[in-house]
Amino acid sequence: MPQVPSTRVEFIAGLRAFAPLSMSILPFGMVCGAAASTAGMTFAQALAMSWVIFAGSAQIAATQLYAGGAPLLVILATATIINLRFLMYGASLAPHFGTLDRRRQALIAYLLTDQAYALTVVRCAQTTDRRNLHWFYFGLAGATWLCWQIATIVGVLLGSLVPANWSLDFIVPLTFIAMLVPLLADRAMALAAVAGGTASVLLVLPLRLNLIAAALIGVGAGLTANRLGKRA
Amino acid sequence: MSFADVAGSDVFVWSMIVGIGIATFLIRFAPLALLARLDLPEWLRQALRYVPPAVMAAIIAPPLFFVGGAPTIGPELPRVAAAALATVVAWRTRSTWLTVVLGMLALWGLRALVG
Repeated sequence: MPQVPSTRVEFIAGLRAFAPLSMSILPFGMVCGAAASTAGMTFAQALAMSWVIFAGSAQIAATQLYAGGAPLLVILATATIINLRFLMYGASLAPHFGTLDRRRQALIAYLLTDQAYALTVVRCAQTTDRRNLHWFYFGLAGATWLCWQIATIVGVLLGSLVPANWSLDFIVPLTFIAMLVPLLADRAMALAAVAGGTASVLLVLPLRLNLIAAALIGVGAGLTANRLGKRA
Repeated sequence: MSFADVAGSDVFVWSMIVGIGIATFLIRFAPLALLARLDLPEWLRQALRYVPPAVMAAIIAPPLFFVGGAPTIGPELPRVAAAALATVVAWRTRSTWLTVVLGMLALWGLRALVG
């Protein structure tokens, strides 16, 4: 009999893979919740940000744009551009999950995050029989989802209690620094970051289009650096 | 604040949440449902790799230079210094918690020293 990892084994392996992630997802989720509530959203709205959207970077960007009075279309466009990276993840996972039924695919899609994608690719490289790989994914991504919702609630509740002069808004750039730094080992990635960061500060654009422009400039810089690096 | 203002902002926030939610779901679902055999073109795959670093840096940088949404003359020095220290901590430890905690302590400490 061929050894197919059972659904239960895969699911538990997914939960195990999640455990260290909680250390970064908890603070980030709390920041999202706190930011939404200090931007003036109601409890229900702040929670809905996390369960309807379930994408931290887009949530933070949307919250900041909302607080800054950006038009709805600009907020939608910015969040969409930030989330376009999921196209790449989905395309990369499609060979494994493309044959599942639509309902499971929809659940996989809803739960897709940077972390779930990265660790599923790792798991994929470690196992030869991938028939139950989606159960690994459900364990990992399901735990991530639950952790995110709890963190958001805690953030909403705590965020409104803390005095403004504690500058807890500074936790937003700090959590992003923790996520960005590991990417900087790649030179083209680092250039994309430097270009995006610089553009976001120096560009003065109407309608708060800075973030979209900065993202596109950063991507352009990364692509250019990658091309030049290959030629050298 | 009039009732219209409250209703207006409520509609705005819910449209924003639902709009981003639908767009995000479609972006996540489309390749799984449609691309089982196809592949994204190489140039697009390359470009999408650079979205996370570019966006993250663009979210990090403005709060170091604009405080309260208004541009300051120069960077706000305690924030810039605390962010620099947090970068070193993140590089050395790869820990989100340590980066956040030490970054906040640095900000408070520097504020106390300066002000």
